[in-house]
Order: sequence, then C-alpha cells, then structure tokens
Amino acid sequence: MIKIFLYECKRLLLNKFFFGILFVLLFYGRQVLSGTTVLGVSHTAPFSAWSFGDYLSRMLPLLWIGTLFFLTFFTSAKARRASVLTDAVRTCPRRYAMARCAAAFSGTLLLSLVCLAEAAVFYGSYFGWYEWGQLIIPVLVTLLPALIFALGSGWLLGRIRPWLIYVWMIVPFLCMALPLPSVLGIWNGSFFTEYPLTVGSLDPAFSIPAPVIAAQCVLLICGVLLLMFTGKKIHN
Amino acid sequence: MEINIKNVSMTYPNGKQALKDLTLDLSAPSLIGLLGPNGAGKSTLMKLFVSALLPTSGTICVDGRPLDKSERALKSQLGYLPQDFGLFDELTVTQFLDYMAVLKGLRYPKTAVREVIKAVNLTEKRKSRIRALSGGQRQRVGIAQALLGDPQLLIFDEPTVGLDPEERIHFRNLFSQTAQKRLVLLSTHIIEDVQSVCDRLIVIDRGMILFTGTPAQLIRSASGHVGVFLEHNAAQEHGLHITARVNTGNGVRCRVVADKLPDYVTPEEPTLEDAYLYLLSKEVRQ
Repeated sequence: MIKIFLYECKRLLLNKFFFGILFVLLFYGRQVLSGTTVLGVSHTAPFSAWSFGDYLSRMLPLLWIGTLFFLTFFTSAKARRASVLTDAVRTCPRRYAMARCAAAFSGTLLLSLVCLAEAAVFYGSYFGWYEWGQLIIPVLVTLLPALIFALGSGWLLGRIRPWLIYVWMIVPFLCMALPLPSVLGIWNGSFFTEYPLTVGSLDPAFSIPAPVIAAQCVLLICGVLLLMFTGKKIHN
Repeated sequence: MEINIKNVSMTYPNGKQALKDLTLDLSAPSLIGLLGPNGAGKSTLMKLFVSALLPTSGTICVDGRPLDKSERALKSQLGYLPQDFGLFDELTVTQFLDYMAVLKGLRYPKTAVREVIKAVNLTEKRKSRIRALSGGQRQRVGIAQALLGDPQLLIFDEPTVGLDPEERIHFRNLFSQTAQKRLVLLSTHIIEDVQSVCDRLIVIDRGMILFTGTPAQLIRSASGHVGVFLEHNAAQEHGLHITARVNTGNGVRCRVVADKLPDYVTPEEPTLEDAYLYLLSKEVRQ
C-alpha cells in the first residue's frame, strides 16, 4: 500500500491545482500577516498564540477547500469511472481507501505546513521571534480537528454525490458569516479576538475553555469515525 | 474454474428488470461470446460476475462456493475490462499498470507490467501520460490491466470498441490464445469479434437467454431461413427481416431472414450474423 500511497501523492501533488492553491495560500497568508496579524489581536503581541490563532482561523477556509479538492480526485465522476477497475481487484477496499486518504491528508498537511512556514518566516524577519514551540497548541486545536473532519465528511459526501463536496466547500465561509455559539468560536475566529478580552488582563496567557476543547474533540472524533468507514462498499 | 448461475434475476432500484431468471454453467477452458443488442443485459451480467452488483434473486457460485462468500478469491483470479471505465490521466502507462499490479497483489509487478505492455502493443507509449493517449490506446491500457497477473477468469465487456481493424484482429487472436487454459467471457454486439474465436455463444436479449451453444449450432438453426433477392418493389419486403441491402448493376440486392422464405427469394447459406439476426427477429415476433 506504500506504493499506492506514493502514486496517489504524485497524482494529488504534481498538478496545476496544487500549485495554484499553494500560490493563493501564500498570497492570502501574506496579506493576513502583514495586514492584520502584524497589529496583534485583542491587545496581544503579533506573535502571541492569540494573534497566531486568528491567522490560522483566517487561513482555515482555504485549507478546508484545499482538503476537499484533494478528495475530488477520488470521488469525481471521472474517478468513479476508474474505480470500476480498482474495485475489481482483490485488495481490501478499506486498506485501499486508507492509503488514498493518507495521500489526501499528506496534501493537507503540506498546505498547512506552508501556512505555518510562512508565518514563521514572517515572525522571524519582522520581529526576530523564533519561539515557535508556543504556537503548537493553537495549531493543533484550530487545524487538526477541522481538517480531519473535512476529510472524513468530504469523503462521505463525495461518495454519496460528487457535487456535494463542492457545496461542502462553502461551510467555513458560512461559519464566518453566521453568529456561531462561543464553543464554535474557532471556526469564525471570534474565539481568538473576543475571548482574550473576557479574561480581564492585558496580553493574557493562551488558554482554551473546556467547552471549546470538547467541541473540537467531538469534531476530531467524528472525522476519524467517518474516515474509518471510507472503505465500506456500497452495493447496487 | 467453474461458474454456475442459478435462477439469477436483477432488477435495478428504478424498477428496470435487467435479467430474468438466468441459469448458466461456465467452465474453463473456454472462450465464451456473450452476444446481444444494446440494453440486452450483457453488462449487468458482467457486473454480477465481478460483484459490482448483487443479484435481486438467485445464486452465483464460483468453483462451488457462493460468490458473496468467495468474492476475494474470485477477484484474485479475475481480469476485468468494463465497457465504460476511466484511467488515471496523471500517470504514465507504466505507472498506471504498476498501480494496478500492486492492487492485484502481484509478486513481480515490473515483469508483469512489461509483459502486458508488449502484449497490447504499447511499448512505444509506455512512458506517455495517459491523458496524451488516443481512445484506442486507452482501450488497450484497459485490456492490459485486465491481463495483468495472468488471471484465470477474464471478463471483457466490448473490448474492441475504438480499436482499428488491425488491432481488433490482434486482440481477437490474443483472447483466443489466452482462452486455451482459462475462462474468457467476451461480451460484444460485434459478430465478427466472436465468429472466429469463440467456442461457445450465449445470446441474450431483454434479460433472457435466447441461445447457448456453439457458433456452428447457431448457424445451423438458421439454415433455410436466409436468402437473397433483387428488389423490384417495396412490397417484396413485407414480412421479411432485411439484414443487408447492396446496390448492384441490376438493382438493390437484399439479404433477408424469415421463418418462411417467399418464392422470389433464393436460399443462401447462413452466416453467424444471419443466424444471430434470425434468432433476434424470431424473438421479436414471439
């Protein structure tokens, strides 16, 4: 399955789409970092976990779209026509699906690392700040549950109807526009801009309330469970 | 390898009944031609063989074991070319076949890939990306992936579509060679494809088997029902099934099949195509 994983990575990563989204991500990231993050959010430093979290939540919709685009390589009408060949072989469908999913996840990971690298370069060049270890928690809390959930839910929807993936791409934009409850504040960035103000001190240490962590854990678990059903065969 | 189909029916969720109470026994070595007009149920039958569909009723057994319990065993010996399939356009011919070889669990994928590329005459295109191939070349990649790993059961659904005449002859011979030790099922509506190579024919229409036997038996069944005449007026065609119409210096020469040939029709030796058309026209009349 390692060979299948590598071939799928080649299909997903060596194409115009990947380089296109990479360019858009870098361009948008630069705009956010130099336009918003550089000022800091909620009276915190630009390199605080709060400001960095705000940057990540702004990048999340693009990463979400990138993740779902990777899945279209497996669920599009064209991919379904190829699946009549791959379904007629003895390989366990679940293992095969997991190999493909791992390739999509690798693509997502690569896009995420590019966002993080851009931020790291920005912090280093603007502020001479290199304590990146402090930013791991915002990364894990903001990106991991959302993108795993995007993979799991996107795969399921794409298997039901290929076009549902494209509809699903607008979800983070809806989250940005809609007044979400505070536990889902990470999805529209309000958590990073509003919560520090409620803590009652200037430049507060980074902390996440338990309900927000619980909501993200639920998303992560849902995403993992959905991924576990990716290889299930649908007859007739 | 032996496949037994017993009382298999297949009705799609939209209510269309594709197969009606089919019973068939297939055993290796054999090259079986599955003939039938478009929409006869050939592709549905093929999909049932490869577990892409589940029958609404009836049983399919492979070497005595029900297919639903031996799906993996069947797939480990299966080479399948569906009528409509896609390929990964981003990969080269060799990469795609290597991908399929890995999925098939072949021990020596490189050798297997090299052999099938040679068998389907794609050596020159082995490094080309699939998106750069013509329709016929893509079809050949499809055939190559089915041949990978020397499977015991080969199922080809309209394999010669898009191939030029020379390639069609090449593949007919290839299928014939392959069938010497294996079970090969060739579904087509092109009579020429099965005429020279198949040792058994199954004619299917509207989900039912109309004929099963050798090509010679099918031809014999049409003996005395095929003839030709020079058309002088349109009324002559009444009650006849015209299978060919050729303009000659003396007028239009018509080839016909009918239960009873009129006096003005000169009997001719039937071809496999005549016999097939006679069988279908008989079914329509009934």
